[in-house]
Amino acid sequence: MAESPVDVLLKGSSGQSTRGLLKVIILVTIAAAAVSSRLFSVIRFESIIHEFDPWFNFRATKYLVQNGFYDFWDWFDDRTWHPLGRVTGGTLYPGLMVTSGVIYHILRFLTIPVDIRNICVLLAPGFSGLTALAMYLLTNEMSSSPSAGLLAAAFMGITPGYISRSVAGSYDNEAIAIFLLVFTFFLWIKAVKIGSIMWGALTALFYGYMVSAWGGYVFITNLIPLHIFVLLCMGRYSSRLYISYTTWYALGTLASMQIPFVGFLPIRNSDHMSALGVFGLLQLVAFADFVRGFIPGKQFQRLLTASIILTAGLAFVGLVVLTMSGVIAPWSGRFYSLWDTGYAKIHIPIIASVSEHQPTAWPSFFFDLNFLIWLFPAGVYMCFRDLKDEHVFVIIYSVLASYFAGVMVRLMLTLTPIVCVAAALVLSYILDTYLKISSGPVTRGRSNEDASEGLRSARTPEVGITSYFSKAATTSSIIVYLLLFVAHCTWVTSNAYSSPSVVLASRMPDGSQFIIDDYREAYYWLRQNTPANAKIMSWWDYGYQIGGMADRPTLVDNNTWNNTHIATVGKAMSSREEVSYPILRQHDVDYVLVVFGGLLGYSGDDINKFLWMVRIAEGIWPDEVKERDFFTARGEYRVDDQATPTMRNSLMYKMSYHNYNKLFPTGQATDRVRGTKLPAESPQLSTLEEAFTSENWIIRIYKVKDLDNFGRDHSNAVAFDKGNKRKKATKKKGARLLRSE
Amino acid sequence: MRPFAVVSALCGLVLSSSSIVSAQSTAAPLPADFKPPQVFKNVNLVRNTNLEKGYARETINVVVENVDKDPQSEYYLSFPSEVFDRVGGLEVRNKKEAEKGRLDVEAVEIDSLSDVRYLIAHLPEPLAPSSQITLGISYSLLNSLHPRPAAIEQSDRQFLTYSFSAYVPSAYQTVTQKTKVKFPSTNVPNYTATNLKTGEDPERQGSTYTYGPYDTTKVAPGTTHPITVRYEFTKPLITASLLERDLEVSHWGGNLATEERYWLRNNGSTLLNHFSRVDWTVANYQQSPSSAIRELKYPLKPGSVDPYFIDDIGNVSTSRYRPSKGNREANLDFKPRYPIFGGWNYSFRLGWNNELASFLRRAVHGADSYVLKVPFLEGPKMAEGLQYEKVVVRVILPEGARNVQYETVEGPSSNGLPSADQFVAEFSSHKTFMDTLGRTTLTLTVESLTDEARDSHLVVTYDYTLFDALRKPVTITLGLFSVFAAIWVVGNIDVSIKKR
Repeated sequence: MAESPVDVLLKGSSGQSTRGLLKVIILVTIAAAAVSSRLFSVIRFESIIHEFDPWFNFRATKYLVQNGFYDFWDWFDDRTWHPLGRVTGGTLYPGLMVTSGVIYHILRFLTIPVDIRNICVLLAPGFSGLTALAMYLLTNEMSSSPSAGLLAAAFMGITPGYISRSVAGSYDNEAIAIFLLVFTFFLWIKAVKIGSIMWGALTALFYGYMVSAWGGYVFITNLIPLHIFVLLCMGRYSSRLYISYTTWYALGTLASMQIPFVGFLPIRNSDHMSALGVFGLLQLVAFADFVRGFIPGKQFQRLLTASIILTAGLAFVGLVVLTMSGVIAPWSGRFYSLWDTGYAKIHIPIIASVSEHQPTAWPSFFFDLNFLIWLFPAGVYMCFRDLKDEHVFVIIYSVLASYFAGVMVRLMLTLTPIVCVAAALVLSYILDTYLKISSGPVTRGRSNEDASEGLRSARTPEVGITSYFSKAATTSSIIVYLLLFVAHCTWVTSNAYSSPSVVLASRMPDGSQFIIDDYREAYYWLRQNTPANAKIMSWWDYGYQIGGMADRPTLVDNNTWNNTHIATVGKAMSSREEVSYPILRQHDVDYVLVVFGGLLGYSGDDINKFLWMVRIAEGIWPDEVKERDFFTARGEYRVDDQATPTMRNSLMYKMSYHNYNKLFPTGQATDRVRGTKLPAESPQLSTLEEAFTSENWIIRIYKVKDLDNFGRDHSNAVAFDKGNKRKKATKKKGARLLRSE
Repeated sequence: MRPFAVVSALCGLVLSSSSIVSAQSTAAPLPADFKPPQVFKNVNLVRNTNLEKGYARETINVVVENVDKDPQSEYYLSFPSEVFDRVGGLEVRNKKEAEKGRLDVEAVEIDSLSDVRYLIAHLPEPLAPSSQITLGISYSLLNSLHPRPAAIEQSDRQFLTYSFSAYVPSAYQTVTQKTKVKFPSTNVPNYTATNLKTGEDPERQGSTYTYGPYDTTKVAPGTTHPITVRYEFTKPLITASLLERDLEVSHWGGNLATEERYWLRNNGSTLLNHFSRVDWTVANYQQSPSSAIRELKYPLKPGSVDPYFIDDIGNVSTSRYRPSKGNREANLDFKPRYPIFGGWNYSFRLGWNNELASFLRRAVHGADSYVLKVPFLEGPKMAEGLQYEKVVVRVILPEGARNVQYETVEGPSSNGLPSADQFVAEFSSHKTFMDTLGRTTLTLTVESLTDEARDSHLVVTYDYTLFDALRKPVTITLGLFSVFAAIWVVGNIDVSIKKR
């Protein structure tokens, strides 16, 4: 304990309350910093929902607020995945929407008129403030030093690894899930430490909340049993473990089964089997512990060995049999891709096509965590020095999360909390050691309290730093690191994680901000000027945004539950018009939307994503769509004169470059993303016609033509019109032909 | 609906007159073949039709003579029933005493099958037999201009048609009459020529075409002679199918918050082919006229602050706000996300704040009585004009405001608003920002307005005491206090199951 003797306020009972008050003030300040550092995008742009998935969550929240909870629960959405629809109420994690809905209704009850959009935008920053508090509580359980918790809270508040998923407007499940994750772990540690049913039940309660909020709950489902298992292997069985684990498992599993999307998974899916297995094992161990009270040592050993081998074998055989017979679902594909990073690319291109599912590049560890990443191993080492039950937890968590974070970029999020804990343990230890002004040997305060647990490593000899120079040098370098950390976090947050991606910003020559708002321009055009039931086909990335902003039915969206349907869209995009048109007609498509960055140099456009469409389509129709045909003989992916005929005849290519050359002098048309000159001739579209193009050409919308009045096919009709030199493009409804399949 | 009340003593404000609504008679509608009593004669009638804007504005000056034996005071105005619902901002004045304000006009309930609908203008004093009075009747006809051809190429020029009768519809016999039509330009490719008079008809003079004068002594009232003109109009036909306008008064904040929600539509020619961005870029570069709405110029009062312009999906980032300097008007250049071509829609909302002091003052005679004078309609100022099919103005007064009365300000010239009985007023309560009772809200609904009404004002008087002002702070204090008390009580309950 760093107690300075000078201040009366810091001593005795008044010192207690002063320190308590200081802690509260510091925590509130940390929470405020956590919230405000996430508001860059609101200040720079506006209060707007970001990216892709949040648009769905936002739309679902609006549905919940307007129609009430039961309608939301039973929601069948016929405006997505046309013509299949989606049982939305049963296929989502409702925690996020319900949380916003509850906040909304509380505010409405107090007659405070807050727009539901603002609640959704600010939910993530708000919960990040709570995460910082939860982090304080969790770290406090790990260390006796009061500064560790505060440091961890501060780290958690501003570390970019967490900010990346929780800036204002990033209304995604992770927004509340990380708070729930940390808080559940805190409750779990508390339960293990005390062995109390109440804390175990609380853990189960928040675990249930977590299940309702994020698919990442499986991490808790596996981490807690693993903690118990490791403790058992270390021979640390105690009634505390038994009470806390069985309480958590029984109540938590019941709670998790209340979510329709989870349903019976906890007892039927391999991902959840470890929790069940450990539950059984714990019963055996408890029984063995009970029996040991009655049977002498030697016989007990034999009985124990035999029974463990027997039950373990039985359980394993049972598991295999149940899996083979299909009662227990085998591991899900996403889970496999955690073990084999190449798995997804071969078997499930749709998972591999998402950038956040790529393996992490090593600089991003430093980018997201800065100096915490090199304090992290030291913190884990510190845990080995004490090695109480809770420290075992930190070690297991660290090992698992490090592995997962290396496999998938998005799982950096689960690593971040434990890095903050570990780094805070180290830093608080260093600061506690070096910051004491008083000279002479100082006793480390925790030794007395911890001795009761019987850990020999806790009883350290009396040591201390006496030299003022080394104190000053160490503390000042730590302070420099801390300041650099803050600067780095601010920089990263401001530059990397605060772009809504719906709105793009650039600078005018005079330095003023210029906003490129093509997405909303086109979406709003769709919303205002097309029939409310016009079906929009686009690549699945834009499905949620079209649903949210344009309020029109879509064929595929970011939910990606039906690979075949996505492949159908991929096939329509990557085939010739004669092949695509029947597909469009069969799916009632009215408008096709493509994203084209060629004019502006916007690299996230559909031509760059095109190969994924081809690959996904090829997965279903290997005879009709071939990735190879889109590459030149020399294996290049080109869009200019050298592009392959397949490429140039594909619907996507035609839609992207249709009429584009008219913007340029003859033969000068340039694609600024690919950096190539385009063919002098514009691609000819006969089955689609351009309906709208946004200001900077980022979004292009095409209308699917109706069948020809005279029963010609469209290419003939277009040729006829051209030959006649008459623009008679009005092809209104006429006698319909049978569909040309 | 409460009866409309007149506030006579508003010493703080200069009002030349106020419109009064007489209690509507609830008699059964008149039969379809109803003819007004022929007690008047139109000695001379001149109709000016102005087609320079996106709607037709007609002004009729008529010399009326009483041909009956008794003094008469009810002059019937007649409109064909198909245009009756689209007549906006009708006003009748005695031309000789224009500063005395408008005459009271009352709609005649008539069987819905009738071809003609009537309104009664009440003359200020009964007209003695064979004496004359000159009436000025002005109104706008909404949605009366139709694009021909209905669909054009994106770069083509737009032409509109307007149809009317050479004989001005009137309930009475007319001796001479003529119609002057003012076009926006001299390009009038098609118009109906008549042989109703000797010589050329219409007479053309620049962009003004004059039909008549006709001697119509022998023509029965209600006879029509259809005329259609087709003329170039390169600007959009901006139509707001609905405008909701909220004015929120806050005494505590000293703030008048205005929010307007528009549902816009362009009634001009639709696009023959689809929208072409290339052509639009070229047209913008050449600054060529277009029938699409590019931008709405919205002047705001000096001192307007915190403007916002959003639509359903957020900030309209294409728009700009230029704040006012000194006493000059601030300017909001509202540019929709995309050009609004014929048949396209766009909805959006605007809002801003003003200091309340320049709109509100205490009434002289009552300490707790306030007078609020606010613009009834603001809206964009466009050369091509704007027509509003329906306007809903909500004045949200402070919580506890009582005794609310309203009226529109009349000046010596037309303010573009219809007479008071065309307003549908409703009082309700609006709960927001921790209100307990809810704020008194006055909702006024008017149909068929044009931007002629831009400068009209609305005066609202109400009583508001100090106790009303203190209600909210007291409520919040009590609320917080009870929460703390509840927490204290709950915190002191011992629920532990430990042995003590």
